[in-house]
Amino acid sequence: MHAFQVWLVATLGGESPVADVMRTAWAWPLAESLHFLGLCLLVGCVGTFDLRLLGVARRVPIAAVHRFIPWGLLGFAINIITGALFLLTEPDQYIYNPSFHFKLLFMTIGGLNAATFYLTSYRRVFGAAATLDAPWHARVIAAISLCAWIGVIVGGRLITFYRPAECVGEQTSLLLICAP
Amino acid sequence: MFAFPGILTLHAIGMGFAVGTSVALDLRILGVAPGVPVAAMRRFMPILWAGFWLNAASGFLLLIGYPTKALTNPVFYLKLLLIGAAMALLVRIGRTVFGDAAASDISGQNASPRLRRLAIASLVCWASAVIAGRLLAYTYTRLTQLH
Repeated sequence: MHAFQVWLVATLGGESPVADVMRTAWAWPLAESLHFLGLCLLVGCVGTFDLRLLGVARRVPIAAVHRFIPWGLLGFAINIITGALFLLTEPDQYIYNPSFHFKLLFMTIGGLNAATFYLTSYRRVFGAAATLDAPWHARVIAAISLCAWIGVIVGGRLITFYRPAECVGEQTSLLLICAP
Repeated sequence: MFAFPGILTLHAIGMGFAVGTSVALDLRILGVAPGVPVAAMRRFMPILWAGFWLNAASGFLLLIGYPTKALTNPVFYLKLLLIGAAMALLVRIGRTVFGDAAASDISGQNASPRLRRLAIASLVCWASAVIAGRLLAYTYTRLTQLH
């Protein structure tokens, strides 16, 4: 994995027109602001749907609350784009950052969890015979979703406190958490 | 200050749930998820208030940690003002859509123009407050008091 990380940092570069724009005075703070707004949109809309699956506002059809999800996806898209801008500008600050590793782990959990929801629960929750109460496995998925996105926020917010230092000596950890 | 990153993290989580849930309510008023009765959004308000109080508490701790940094920065006062405006708008929206006289605004997409204006103002205030908060890290002039 170490070689892959080094390759990734070299490939993402940090020297590109995107990086040049990001290094102007206000581009980075602006992208960060958008990243936070995307976070609010994602957590607000996906969180509302998760809470509905968990039984909040249980007289409202689940399918009706699901209409908030595209707006949560919009927030996610904003954050993928702004996140890519950070990554393309300072790749080593993320690729070797243990907090960023955790953020990616929780994003993967959140993504697989959402995929599991649509694969296992779609008919039960949205079909003609859908009931007001979500089946137990959809509730578990909703709880995992809330935890995963909170984990993503934690991992993201702590990135700045785990900036990688220069590597000293041989590295034995699974992932590099210092800059070679 | 060892606890600083943890408190900052709680502040981000509280923001997500407070602002995010308020945004969901605003979106509902503006016509998103028309199958959800606006009055039923009341059930989600406790998570909004939990996020708000979490952020009032964590924000207070952050202020105690670096009082000079915040209090010498005009953007900090702007952020407080925007949060105050957003919360005032939320209370007004809540009175309209959750109150006893809410019947006319409850069903379907037919929010009154006045209610729609309140929802748009709420979105603008929250977005501005979040941006102002994020910019605090870039606009301060003094981290601690000069001796």
